[in-house]
Order: sequence, then structure tokens, then C-alpha cells
Amino acid sequence: MPEPLRERVEQLGRDLEMLVNLWRGRRPPPFRTRVASGAGRGGVAAGPGPSPGDEPGAGPRAGALATRALEIVALTRETDDAVTLTLADPDGGELRFVPGQFFTVLVDVGGETLRRAYSLSSSALERERASVTIKRVSGGRASNHLNDHAAVGQRLLVLGPSGAFTVAPSPAARRVLVLIAGGSGITPIAAIVRTVLAVETSSKIALIYGNRGAADIIFRAQLDALAREHEGRLELRHVLSDPPAGWAGGVGLLDRETCLHELARLETRPGFDPETLDDAEYFVCGPEPMMEAVRDALREFGVPRARVHEERFSQPHLRGQGARARARAPRPQGVQVRRAGLPVAGFEVAPEQTLLEAGLTAGLPLSYSCAMGGCGACKVRLVEGEVEMEEPNCLTDEERARGEVLACVCRPLAGLVIDIGPRRAPGLGGAARGGR
Amino acid sequence: MLGTRWDADRLVNLLPGRVRVQVDEFFEALALLAELRDPRLLYALGPAGVRGMLLKRGKQGAPTRIRASHKAHFNWEYPADQPEMAELYARAKQGQWRAEDLPWSTDVDPLNPEVPLIPSSFLGPDVLREHGVRLSAAEELKFRHSVTAWMLSQFLHGEQGALFAAAQVTEAVQFFDGKLYGATQVMDEGRHVEVFSRYLDEKLGRLYQINDNLYVLIDSLMTDSRWDMKFLGMQIMIEGLALGAFGTLYRQTREPLLKQLLRMVIQDEARHVHYGVVALRDHIRDELSARERAEREDWAYEVALLMRNRFMAYEIHEEWFPAMPRARWRRLVGAIPGMNEFRQVMFSRLVPNLREIGLLTPRVLPRYERAGLTRFFGGASANQMTAESMLEGLDRQTIEDAA
Repeated sequence: MPEPLRERVEQLGRDLEMLVNLWRGRRPPPFRTRVASGAGRGGVAAGPGPSPGDEPGAGPRAGALATRALEIVALTRETDDAVTLTLADPDGGELRFVPGQFFTVLVDVGGETLRRAYSLSSSALERERASVTIKRVSGGRASNHLNDHAAVGQRLLVLGPSGAFTVAPSPAARRVLVLIAGGSGITPIAAIVRTVLAVETSSKIALIYGNRGAADIIFRAQLDALAREHEGRLELRHVLSDPPAGWAGGVGLLDRETCLHELARLETRPGFDPETLDDAEYFVCGPEPMMEAVRDALREFGVPRARVHEERFSQPHLRGQGARARARAPRPQGVQVRRAGLPVAGFEVAPEQTLLEAGLTAGLPLSYSCAMGGCGACKVRLVEGEVEMEEPNCLTDEERARGEVLACVCRPLAGLVIDIGPRRAPGLGGAARGGR
Repeated sequence: MLGTRWDADRLVNLLPGRVRVQVDEFFEALALLAELRDPRLLYALGPAGVRGMLLKRGKQGAPTRIRASHKAHFNWEYPADQPEMAELYARAKQGQWRAEDLPWSTDVDPLNPEVPLIPSSFLGPDVLREHGVRLSAAEELKFRHSVTAWMLSQFLHGEQGALFAAAQVTEAVQFFDGKLYGATQVMDEGRHVEVFSRYLDEKLGRLYQINDNLYVLIDSLMTDSRWDMKFLGMQIMIEGLALGAFGTLYRQTREPLLKQLLRMVIQDEARHVHYGVVALRDHIRDELSARERAEREDWAYEVALLMRNRFMAYEIHEEWFPAMPRARWRRLVGAIPGMNEFRQVMFSRLVPNLREIGLLTPRVLPRYERAGLTRFFGGASANQMTAESMLEGLDRQTIEDAA
């Protein structure tokens, strides 16, 4: 179609869509929320826009993603194999996030850029700086690299914050949160504990935190101090599978039995009687076997599924980074883009690019946030063609059945036709969603 | 007309809620078009009215493309042709400022009653209660946050329009000194977009969609090919509206960053209106036929009324009180003290400027009298005022109110 005609057809489509929606009582939203991160840019990116990632040195590695460069201003060794990096905007911009969210950190290892999700562990009230805590993963290139080589003064490129494993703090809230963490799963939970205790003076938190040995407990001193300071509002329980002599806390691997035992114990604690726990919300974060065990335990404990929130660590270091796509499709692949059925654009994906990177480079206003398969903001529908997608990721079975793919972790194996869905107000479509 | 309107309201109230809103909106758009009895006015504002009010082009969630059809006026001789504009150009260069130098580190808590974005008296709790709106103290703070974010969002959308209009006017104006000055105004408007956008992003956390009526104004100015209509619309009417709105908020807010931001913006805007007055004064007196002038007189009057009557903040209505009949909401907005002050300030700036450029002729004066606007006739126009005297006036009024 010639350009001016296509433009008119598209405009006509939008006009009709608006009229139909209005008469059905579906009115355009009066406003959209903007989460600030730095000077004038929203937390959920839509489209390629100018970004610190386009600065010299960051360009080729960051691709078309609107990354943000943050400086490491402090480094704390939490345990032998976990380090906390405190980040700040070198231009003095604020770092806003909702406790529970994560940053996608772009880590350069041996000439390759790896994207990893690291939960923000600091209080969301502190806006000048924010911390991520990184625990070594066996065989994990990014986590080991950061543990070995990160230093104060270095800059990290980040995306986000993203994720919906969150508790939005509200001074008026009166709620009970039961938080269950295993190992480095404490990081988003720590941000929730720190922020909620400070903001919600009428809310109560129980934290059950499992580790192997006493030396593996991340944030131990800080959590103990918070429990003393907020006695009666923070019920802290450490559970160790390999406890030292004379250990007074819980004992065992956080499996189904241990978890049930700990929940039963919690019911006997002052302020956490069964009636109070009836209204509680549960947040669970840890390694996959623990998550499964806790899920079973909570079901048996009678907690409705809707009140259980989970953050699953996908394991990007175990994913194939498009090797199959590179082998099978060594040449650029063409992509036709439709919007609600109407063709709107076309572009090519080079062998080393993801669908999202290529689309953004071509100037398409694609929504995305974490760019590593963890939040679902970049979902598109595959109409024709075949792709390789990095697994595991956050797509649900229903979404897969609808033919949806995550543009940020998918590479074409052949020419594609994709549909980027009905037009949404910019920013609204990108509502980040936590990986379950 | 009043009678039909009232009957329409009654009929509308019998319909189910979601249809009721739509029908009311439809009647409002029709009423606007019906008010423009003059076919030339209908031609100038009608298509934009359909695009903005019925099709809601500004709210479709996609970039809007508007075709501009003015002529770029080149002059290869580069004459020094307008000393007053040359002086404004010099002042504008002096007056440049950096958005980064505002105190962005100020911690803005929109819900802190100690440092309110707008004081409680802006909305008038009594007025709210009289119109059946009962809010708890916490809700009222949230409501004020919404209202402030709505106003600033409309400022931001208006500044985007001003940015493009300033660029078009710079192309179209026939004075070369005007082109040089115009370049600084493009820069100014870009900076205004920057600061309002940043404030909304970082401090208030939300952006309201463009108000349909503001969209209509911007759309009609963008599409009008006559440079002096763009000038009149942008430099006199919309900048006048902006000065009214900025002045009101500047006077009322207790939030130091916002106050400082508005202070800087008002200083720029004062130059912009001054430029509009200088450029249009001679053109309207010397270049236009009687018929052309009459058309602009009518247009300015209609747009002034549009601005007074139609900025009803329906976006807030939909967010907060979707169940309240829109007619009741209009009465409520009409009674809010802050909105009344805004209209005051706007007309006190606008009417003297229309007088100065020669659009308050005996032919249209009776209409202004009927609309109750005569008391503004004697005020100072933009070319007789400086930004300092304007800000002083606002500051003095604030002190008097406090005393």
C-alpha cells in the first residue's frame, strides 16, 4: 500500500475503534502512571528513544534497548559468595522502584553481553541509591564475574525496574505479610521488609528464611536488628539445614514438612494467631525445589492460591542463547508486523539479534521492560513462522497456547509474521508482570 | 437553547450510565458546533472539533499526525526590519536558562498536607460539599494530587502544541527579526516540555491524557494555513490561557520546586505574548480588509469563550466520580474557587492584548459586555508589562490574600 493511503487506513481504523469502544462504554483511561527513573524517562520503556545506552562504548552491546548507566558507589560482601552492589545515577537522577522489583543488569563477560535479573534489596524509600545483591551461581558466568570483578566506580547498564512480585507500600495499609525466602531469594523480600516496616506502621510481617549454614545467611545482622527494632511487627525465623552447635532457630531443609512445621509454629506466636493469618498475603522466593515444596505446604495449610505470590528465578545461564537459531538461520530473517490484523511495518532480524532488538532498531514502538524473559511486557503473537525462545521464561501455558512469544528472548528460525496486538495507550501495555 | 439543553439533560438522565456519558458528550459537541453559527468559524473550528471531541484523536494511544499547510516565507536579503522584535530577540537570548538548574532534588510528597501542591482553598471544601462531594482528609489530598497532575499534564500538552506552533510561525512570519526571535521561542517551548514532563514523571508519577477541547484548539491552529491565525491562536489565545493557568498555580502552590519552575516558565511566556502583540498589531491595522478583520474578531471572541467555558476536567470526573452526572460535574467545576481565579487571571491578560492588537472594535464590544468581560478592558497589555511586573503582581496578591 502506498504510504499516505496506509496512513489514512490506519487512522480510520483507530477512529472506528475509538467510536465503537466509546459506545460500548469502554472509555480511554484518563491518565497513565509514570514511574520515573532519571530525567524524564518512564520505568517501562516503549520504543527506542534516546538513552544512555546509546552513548559511545555502550552502543553495540546494549543494542537498541533503552538502558541506563548506573555507578557502583559501594560494595558490601554479605557472605563468602554474595555481594551487594549499591548503585546511583551518576547524573543525580532518582532511582524509583516498588519493593520486590528487579533490575536487568547487562554484564559483559568475554566480549558477550549477558542479561541477568537481580532483585533490588534496599529500601525503596531511599531514592538516591538502590542495591542489588548477587549470589554466585554454580557455573553462572554473570554472577561469578560480578562477585569477582565488580568494584566501586564501575558503571553497570541496567533495564527496568520490572516485575510484579511487589508490595506497594501505603501508610494507610493494615495487613499481615508472610514472607518465605530461601538463599538469595531473600533479596526482593528484604526490600519488602525494609520498606513496609518503615511506611506501614500498622502492618505486621512474618519472615521465614531458609539457608544451609549460619554463614550463608544474607543480611543476617540487618534482619536481626530490624526484628529487635520492630518487635511485635517483624517475626523473624531463620531455618538452617546444617545448623551449628547450639542453634536456637528452625532446623531442616525448607521442604514441605519443615514449612508446615514452621507455619504451625507461627500460629502460636503472639500477634499471628490463626484468625490473623486468615487475612495474610504470602510471598515466596527461592530455588525452584523450595518453591514447589512451599506451594504444596501452603495449599495444605489452607491458603487460597490467589493469596500466594511467587517470584521464580529463571536460570538464564542454563538457557541456549539462540544457538539453534544461529545454526539454522545464518542469514537475516524478514519479519512482517501486523497490528490487530492490519499490516503496519516490516523489518529484518540479523542472526545475532533478538526479535525485540531488531524491532526497536527498525524504529517500532515495541513495549518491553526486563528484556530477559522475566516480565512479559514484550509479548507479541506469532501468526506465521517458527522461532527459538530461550527457556525457561515467564510465559504461561495459556499464553503459549495463544501463540504468544516474548520478543526479548526469541529469534526467528524462518521468516515471520507477528501481531503486536491492539493499540494501547503508550505505557499501559507494558505493565510488567512477575515471573511465576 | 437553554430550554433544549435542560430537556436534553433530563432525557440523558434516563439512560443507562455508560450510554449517558456518551450521549452527554455528543450533545456537548453538537452544542459547540451550533454555537459557531458563522460558516467561516464553523469551517475553521468544525473539523478539528469532530476530530477532537467525537473521535478523540488525542486519546487514541497512538501518535497523532496533523497536516500543516502554511507557507514558509524566505527572504534572501536578511533585513533588520522590526526593532521591537530585535530587542525581544536580544532579551530572549539573555533570558535562557537550564532546566537542570532547578532544585530537582526537592523531595515532593504530593500527599503531604504541610507542603500542599495546591491549598485546600483552591478547591474550596465548602463548594465540594455543596455539590455533594464528601471526601475524607486523605481522599481530599489525593484529589488535589489528581487536580494538580491534571493541570500540569494539560500544560505539558499545550507546550507541545506551542513548540510546534512556534516553529511554524517562525517559518511563516514575514519579519526577519521575527524569525530570529522565533528561534528562541522554539527553544523556550522545548525547555517547557522538558520541565513539565520531568516534574510529572519524577514528582507526581502520572500523566493525564490531553483534554478534548485543548486538542481541538491545537488541531485547528496546526491545520490553519494563515500565519496570522496561528499567531493569534498561539501567541495571544493559548499563551494567554497558559499565563492565566501558570499564574494561578504559581500563586497558589506551596511546593517550592513547582513554584520555582513556574516562575521561570512565566518569564519566558511573558516574552511570547509580547511578541504576538507586536507582530499582530501592525498586521491587523494595516494589512487586513474589513471583512478579514471581522472574521478574526469573531474567532478570537469564540475561542475566548471556548477557553472559559469548556475546560471541564472531564478526565478527573472519569477518574473520581464516573457515576456523577456530567451536568452536575460541570456545575461543580464552575464553582471551584481556583478555577474561577484562573479565568480571572486569564481574561485580565487576554482582553487588554486583544484591545492592543485591534480586535476589540465597537462591532464586537457588546458581546464582551454581555459576557461580563468589560472590567478587563483597562488592563495593561503584554507590550506594556515586563515579566517582573507580572510576577510582582502575582506575589503581591498572594501576600494580600495571606493578610
